[in-house]
Amino acid sequence: MNTVLTNRIAGSDAPEIREIRVGFMPLTDCASLVIASALKFDEKHGIKIVLSKEVSWAGVRDRLIGGELHAAHALYGLIYGVHMGIGGAPRAMSVLMTLNRNGQGITLSGELGKRGATSGAALKSLMDRDRRDLVLAQTFPTGTHAMWLYYWLASHGIDPLNDAGIVTLPPPQMVRSMRMAKVDGYSAGEPWNSLAIREHAGFTVATSQEIWPDHPEKVLGCTAEFAKKYPNSSRALIMAVLEASRYVDEMENRDKVSEIIAGEAYIDCQVGMIEPRMKGDYENGLGRKWKDPDCIKFCDQGEVNFPYLSDGMWFLTQFRRWGLLKHDPDYLAVAREINQIELYRQAADQVKMPLPGDAMRTSKLMDGKVWDGRDPAGYASGFAIKA
Amino acid sequence: MKRILIIDDARDRALWLKASLELAEYVVVGALSWDEVDERSIQAAAADVIIVDANAPGRDTLEQISLMSRTLEKPVVVLRAQKDSRSIQAAMRAGVSAYVSHDVEGEDLSGIIQVAAARFAEHKRLRDELREVKDQLEERKLVDRAKGILIQRMGLDEAEAYRRMRSMAMNRGKRIAEIAEAIILSEELTAK
Repeated sequence: MNTVLTNRIAGSDAPEIREIRVGFMPLTDCASLVIASALKFDEKHGIKIVLSKEVSWAGVRDRLIGGELHAAHALYGLIYGVHMGIGGAPRAMSVLMTLNRNGQGITLSGELGKRGATSGAALKSLMDRDRRDLVLAQTFPTGTHAMWLYYWLASHGIDPLNDAGIVTLPPPQMVRSMRMAKVDGYSAGEPWNSLAIREHAGFTVATSQEIWPDHPEKVLGCTAEFAKKYPNSSRALIMAVLEASRYVDEMENRDKVSEIIAGEAYIDCQVGMIEPRMKGDYENGLGRKWKDPDCIKFCDQGEVNFPYLSDGMWFLTQFRRWGLLKHDPDYLAVAREINQIELYRQAADQVKMPLPGDAMRTSKLMDGKVWDGRDPAGYASGFAIKA
Repeated sequence: MKRILIIDDARDRALWLKASLELAEYVVVGALSWDEVDERSIQAAAADVIIVDANAPGRDTLEQISLMSRTLEKPVVVLRAQKDSRSIQAAMRAGVSAYVSHDVEGEDLSGIIQVAAARFAEHKRLRDELREVKDQLEERKLVDRAKGILIQRMGLDEAEAYRRMRSMAMNRGKRIAEIAEAIILSEELTAK
């Protein structure tokens, strides 16, 4: 770190590469990346973010590994899964920063709603009364939506691995598959839960912030090789996206942000599909409307963006819980390898983004369990429902 | 002999790839569309290698199937419709998706990838060429119609009509087909 600081003083912190190719999936939580480019926060820090719209998470992973993308908007768990070699050869990965908290959801079909399954508890009692094959979709096997879905089901006494069929679907196919009764519901980001309501195909049975208030969601990910080879570019990228995050987080900017990200080059949908939930105006599709103070957050004075070790470790505990990891890893060591706290700190300092005092934080999830990163193996094995 | 499964929504491309691989004496056990992909259909195909299009959103579906069922863990060859051989090389390096399993030798795979990648690119080239030919035909029809209008309206001969259109196109930095279209539109407007 000292050499880095000296170099910086000596003025050699210029980005090693100026053009940074960044992949994103068309979801509302790509907002800070899009804004960093659209409002030229990148230029301010001497880089040019070249955005690339992707169609699958597998593609994002392959293109990161193949070097066609330098960095990407990625599911938190995807980066950890690749690093651990889940479903493939391991490849050392890095998390540069967290992009957002909250703002995802679980949708159930209108048909299930008609049969009374309008809450997790009601779904459980329906399944107890009338056992049938429930099929639920998520977006990637190691992804956040899979973990929210499993956690939510298990908290209601439903074993995701035995009581339900789990499939992965591209989000644009979710509503159609539900209409065709191929799936009974899904866990996904926005605008896909809003779309089910708009299309009268389903309803939001739970928001992800109800499962874990202020949960980490997407990260800015890259290979460890990239972060190591291009620390200045990585830092400039973090700075640009941090400033964009600050902008996107302001509620009075969210109309404008929604309008930009709804554009054809980005999410390509009607603004009305994303704007309400971006601003915390929720409805569940069954007549309930509310203002959600825990709607999607992009910055919260840097609280959102700091790559907390406990956040990364949580995904490892869930991989362990669901049998995606056969043994306990060295949870803390893995999180320290992946989450680039030092780079983040330097970048945050430069743009005057406050830093937390601790790299762990304490959260309480929907089942009352507290996660503070202190005993990951005990936490992972302490669930009644697990693989 | 490795058994190959192709998953591709572009039916003609899938069949083309199948024929090409068979010509190289590979066994292609099937060609599925993404809608048909589930645990059962993958199981039934009993393939050793799966070939997919890199730009298919359905790839994530396959990830889950492979991960949740070890017996279905297959090397997935990811192809992209690109022309130059350099990017085919890159695709060959990066293209074999993360989950290359144990029982397929790299050499086996690279043979399959070579045939498949070359054919994939070829298919795109042919399709592009076909589209170009179609576009040219369309353009020629437009130009002929516009010429006819000029001949009738202004009493020009064919060569002169064409010369005027061409010089206007050059002066305005437009394609001659665009000028032709404008002439046709104005004719339709005044005819009404």
